Amino acid sequence: MRAVLLLYLAAVFVFVFAPIVASIVFSFNSDRFPTIPLGSFSMEWYVKAFSDEGVWVAFKNSLIVSVCAATLSTFIGFATAYTDYRYGFRFKGAYIALALLPPTVPLIILALAMLAWLSQLGLSGTLTGIVIAHTVLGAPFAMAVTRLRLSQMDPSLEAAAWNLGASEWSAMRHVILPFCLPAILSAFCLTAAVSFDEFAVAWFVSGLNKTVPVMILEILQGNVDPRINAIGTVVFLTSMTLVIAAQLLLMAKGKST
Amino acid sequence: MTEPLVVFDGVVKRYGDVTAVKHLDLTIDKGEFVALMGPSGCGKTTSLRMLAGLEDPSAGDIRIGGRSMKDIPAHERDTPLVWQSLALFPFLNVRENVEFGLKMRGVSAPERRTRAGDWLDRMGMKDFGARRIDQLSGGQKQRVALARSLVTEPEMLLLDEPLSALDAHLVIRMQGVLTRLQRELGITFVYVTHSQSEAFAMADRVVIMGEGEIAQIGTPHEVYRAPATRFVAEFVGRNNIFTRPDGREFSVAADRVSVASQRPDDAAVECSFISEEFAGTSIVLYLETATGDEIKASIDEATLSALDPEPGATLWASWGPDAEHELGKG
Repeated sequence: MRAVLLLYLAAVFVFVFAPIVASIVFSFNSDRFPTIPLGSFSMEWYVKAFSDEGVWVAFKNSLIVSVCAATLSTFIGFATAYTDYRYGFRFKGAYIALALLPPTVPLIILALAMLAWLSQLGLSGTLTGIVIAHTVLGAPFAMAVTRLRLSQMDPSLEAAAWNLGASEWSAMRHVILPFCLPAILSAFCLTAAVSFDEFAVAWFVSGLNKTVPVMILEILQGNVDPRINAIGTVVFLTSMTLVIAAQLLLMAKGKST
Repeated sequence: MTEPLVVFDGVVKRYGDVTAVKHLDLTIDKGEFVALMGPSGCGKTTSLRMLAGLEDPSAGDIRIGGRSMKDIPAHERDTPLVWQSLALFPFLNVRENVEFGLKMRGVSAPERRTRAGDWLDRMGMKDFGARRIDQLSGGQKQRVALARSLVTEPEMLLLDEPLSALDAHLVIRMQGVLTRLQRELGITFVYVTHSQSEAFAMADRVVIMGEGEIAQIGTPHEVYRAPATRFVAEFVGRNNIFTRPDGREFSVAADRVSVASQRPDDAAVECSFISEEFAGTSIVLYLETATGDEIKASIDEATLSALDPEPGATLWASWGPDAEHELGKG
């Protein structure tokens, strides 16, 4: 039974990672088409991909969007989590449910709704529009991460700071924020990764200001182009780095409590 | 006497429909070691938290040094608290923890360092300044928590069951540390505990609370020898409680009861032996009278081996009339 489960687990991992590994392998392959046997090792497709100015612009857009969206998401997520931690009020259940709602909405519906709403605001097709959309997507993750951290905090800790002469703001700055710092950094990495990878909403909202995933689709629609493998590898490594960093921060924090 | 340091003046605390503190009138003098004691839910911790400004009274007033604490927020009161959980800051090292109160009061970094160092030295933690909190033992954390609270040289220190997480032998040692500190500093200690042994070992005055009210205030000896009500008699130590035919109640301390296998005199009560419990140097015998009342008798080991009772054996319990203490209604 155990062996069957392990086999199943291995199969799942192969199913998930095989396309990614294939993409990485073929990104270093000199042949034009992804065929076996492989040709020789080559950086050709990386050179070609990054000599295109459009690719640089897309990366720059993605970077701006993900940093802005991550900053906003982390701030909103922290504020929501702290409100939940600190205060009891009527309809708090509804408040939490609302804060955690966005990930439960199917992406296409969210994307359509964002497009409709941002168009009315005149923000459709702007980077600001994408930032807003991605903040909506990221904030619940940031909240969940911060909330988990706050739940590990000794409930007396903040009051202990007041008791030792810290005003509410001082206690926030000297106790709550330092305690939550690993979670805040982790939430930042995680939401940056969410934004950097996100395709559906960005595709609907972006217009001419393409982010990397949107640009990849446009290249793919034209033809089979090995540059995609090169770009995909860079995107994959960026996202993985962020997600692993987020995970490491979460694990390190577990030890220090 | 000078003006008392702390005055609870008709303090009431309600949470919605629940009344945690019904009516509290209490004065605490400068330099006094007062223990607030009672079973859980009696309002002792709530009273302490109100004194520290962490809860607002629903009615009544608390005065510190003659000044009403109404609308004075917690961080503007000089009432450091040693928490049950200790609440040390895990992201700061030992020295930074001790410096925290000074930092919040705007004391300069070099002075903070010196004063925190002095206190760590005094608590025997001189070489631990750079340690992380999770690298300390329970007793060491306790010392850091004390240093952190005392470094600002407050007029009083509040303690909320600070020893409840420690091993028994450490509790005794920390009791010694606390008593010595309080004498040396000459400041007021307000100590909340449900442990009779802690309160009696350290406090000058014990305040017994039950259901949000004070049941009795007195020295440990007074409370132990002359419990005011049945509640106090039951809560404090091993007391036997009896009802006279006229309905009035009296208590007899277990260590005033003597036990014999032969009837010593007419006043002795016939009972059967139920069980025994070792309590350090003495042994508590649990006896049952013919009417089903329980009698506890604290005797020494020599007496026990002389009696050597089998379960169900008939024994005679007796006490002098001066051992009987009338209980008030309450």
